[in-house]
Amino acid sequence: MTLKLGHREFPDDTALMMAIVNRTPDSFYDRGATWAEDKAFDRVAEVVDQGAEIVDIGGIKAAPGVEVDASEERRRVVDFVARVRSAYPDLVISVDTWRAEVGRAVCAEGADVLNDAWGGADPALVDVAAEHDAAIICTHTGGVTPRTRPFRIEYADVVASAIADTTAYAERAVVAGVDRRSVVIDPAHDFGKNTFHSLEVTRRLGEMTATGWPVLVSLSNKDFVGETLDLPVGERLTGTLAATAVCALAGARIYRVHEVVETRQVVDMVWSIAGRRPPRRAVRGLA
Amino acid sequence: MTIEHVVVVPSALVLLPEYAGLEDPIPELRRAVGQAVSWLVERHPDEVAVLSVGVRADNVARGVTEPVGARIGRDLLSENGFRGRLVENAAGVLVVANGTACRGEKAPGHLDERSFGYDDEIEDALRSGSPKVLRDLDTALGEELWAHDVPALRALGELVSGSVSSELDYAADPHGVKYWVARWTCAS
Repeated sequence: MTLKLGHREFPDDTALMMAIVNRTPDSFYDRGATWAEDKAFDRVAEVVDQGAEIVDIGGIKAAPGVEVDASEERRRVVDFVARVRSAYPDLVISVDTWRAEVGRAVCAEGADVLNDAWGGADPALVDVAAEHDAAIICTHTGGVTPRTRPFRIEYADVVASAIADTTAYAERAVVAGVDRRSVVIDPAHDFGKNTFHSLEVTRRLGEMTATGWPVLVSLSNKDFVGETLDLPVGERLTGTLAATAVCALAGARIYRVHEVVETRQVVDMVWSIAGRRPPRRAVRGLA
Repeated sequence: MTIEHVVVVPSALVLLPEYAGLEDPIPELRRAVGQAVSWLVERHPDEVAVLSVGVRADNVARGVTEPVGARIGRDLLSENGFRGRLVENAAGVLVVANGTACRGEKAPGHLDERSFGYDDEIEDALRSGSPKVLRDLDTALGEELWAHDVPALRALGELVSGSVSSELDYAADPHGVKYWVARWTCAS
């Protein structure tokens, strides 16, 4: 299915890179490296240069930490979205927020996608997406409260839960008026999940892509990679890329990443192995 | 059957659509091939004969049944608007053949210095329209130099007699294999 992300459309055989741009002082991977607005703007320039089709701008770290209320979140992201929109008219701008009032403000400045990483915690977010013809990412968190860590969470079947919750959210978005081509589902690795859950979701991602909804995966440097390989943040790229390859083979469409270049190479390679993309230039044995 | 027009193109698999990458590694060759085949189709819209060698023995052992030259010939004709019949004998002939594959350290058959003289002889014959030279090509040496299509060039030499007006549109070895695109108009 064609993917419509705000003002851009992408055919169904394309895989897209969504580069993470944090306007936070405390996110786990970059630890405030792009907290200053000019640094964040430089990061946008860098990932655009690397070929990312989407930037995902976030004003609140996912993990528990200093309280960031809606007005502070708006201060961090709204003007920045406007600046990026002005500088990069063709870029797809996503904003990582669960709050409808923040969503409304960023859409007014030209955001194309609302990345609801907390799985519909604010039920009005779909209405904002519908009002602004924006896309929405429907994630699975198992119903946890935003910015909480999973504690002794269990599922009868984590993949069945992820499919049921994300597709129900997706249908709710369509009923609210969001274009069906603008709805994406995300199993949300690590969110409301222990490492075994995230590994199982990865292993069985094909069941999610089989729903027909486009699937986003956000794997980059996460704890399930760290725990699986017993490696700290900063040493998880290889594990991230292994998980990326498995998700790519299953047909995930959007990759939310810190490392654009490496992820693109892995996804292109797997896309070609899967027969969805020709090699760049093939002569070996054919001359 | 009197031969009126002949086109020679390489038997390179890279010409086939199923082996297309995102970037074409042989854009100039493909352009020249397309123009020459169109030229043939314009003159012989109803019947064309494709002249090529059979399936190579090692590929027979791998289960291949259709000669690559026949595949390439059929595909190129179709791509360039041919809606007629492929027949054994026709006044319009598409020869699918190339030279040696040993023209450099990175060539498929590595470097064999004898390739250059061998290819030069074929190239002179194609450029000057000399069927007799093609008729007398050394097939055994051609095999050593990975010029497996030489029997097809020899057969062309047998088919054509009399004077030939010739155009050599392309001659190069971009991947260590000698390719030509040639057009012949034969006196009736």
